[in-house]
Amino acid sequence: MDEATFTRHAEAYAGRLYAVAYRLLGNRADAEDAVQRALLKAFAARASYAPRWAVSTWLYRVLSNVCIDELRRRRPPPEPLPTGGGRRAPRVEPVDLARALNRVPREARLLLALHYVNGLSYRELAKIRGISVNTVKSQLARGKTILRKALGD
Amino acid sequence: MDRMDTAFREFFAAAVAPRGRARHLVPRLADGPLTLEALAGRFRIEATERGVARLYPGRGVAAASARARQHAAQALEELGEYLAGRRAFFSVDVDLTGVAPFQARVLAQARRIPFGETESYAELARRIRRPRAARAVGNALGANPVPVIVPCHRVIRGDGSWGHYAFGGDMKTRLLALERATPALVGCASTRIVCRRGCAHEQRVGESNRIVFASVPDARSVGYRPCRVCRPGAAA
Repeated sequence: MDEATFTRHAEAYAGRLYAVAYRLLGNRADAEDAVQRALLKAFAARASYAPRWAVSTWLYRVLSNVCIDELRRRRPPPEPLPTGGGRRAPRVEPVDLARALNRVPREARLLLALHYVNGLSYRELAKIRGISVNTVKSQLARGKTILRKALGD
Repeated sequence: MDRMDTAFREFFAAAVAPRGRARHLVPRLADGPLTLEALAGRFRIEATERGVARLYPGRGVAAASARARQHAAQALEELGEYLAGRRAFFSVDVDLTGVAPFQARVLAQARRIPFGETESYAELARRIRRPRAARAVGNALGANPVPVIVPCHRVIRGDGSWGHYAFGGDMKTRLLALERATPALVGCASTRIVCRRGCAHEQRVGESNRIVFASVPDARSVGYRPCRVCRPGAAA
């Protein structure tokens, strides 16, 4: 893949790569840095790109690897569960969701972000993370349950 | 799709960068990822029967016996891989005989700081139960006989600034940046085994099979098991 083709693909996906990174890392600077590092890594390793892969799958793989490693360096969030007292919130506010997402274990959080930003299929998610389709399903279900619980739904 | 699903979808979609800004996210591709491989030849290593005893700027190796030469060769190889971003841990033995007991404790504690993370002098002092000895900790680290391998560069000042480093502040910045860009745990998508970066098995994993994990429990939760050679679960 030459530089011009790579840049075209990178530009096409950068916005969504950023969304995944932003939802995982929680701030703009870290998200931009993660996208840029992922694109540099992907470009440097473009020789290993196999055409049987969708370009997007490959870019999401590289980005996921960068974001997960970034999360490794962070201490677990000390935040306690919000004390909603079982009261049903009339509307789900983005700030509540962002906080709730922090409570979801990293692997499930990553799958949720990829799934909801990009509408990726279970098969694609499985390929991106090198796991089975069943594991994708159970991780997503687990992540959603934790989100609902944290939001008091 | 229920109310929550819609909320999730809207929440995630809201973070997508608009096309105009997305273009600026694509970096100058010619820059390439960071490596410090060129520095590998700029260390002098002294080794004994027990392991690497000193490491300082210079060239070559000082080793009196065959066993010592083995330690020195292993240290050189691991340093080269580390600086190239292909290794996240050192398995070469370190010989700290002759180091005073307090300094030995400080150095042992510094070795427990995980790859890519940092800790302040005061935190390290607390961990060795000498909470008021932050300055002494700084001195003990400053006299670290085997920098890089004993990662005193991961200890920084409480305010986030670097403090003194034997190889210079710029080198400390570069080492920390390198560690930030190097994943510590790599799984293989075909064998479903997770290794520490630098393990002989990990080095054979093909580029298209590499999956980075944040911890061994994370990897286990999605069906990976830890490697029996580099034993990532036992490491800090």
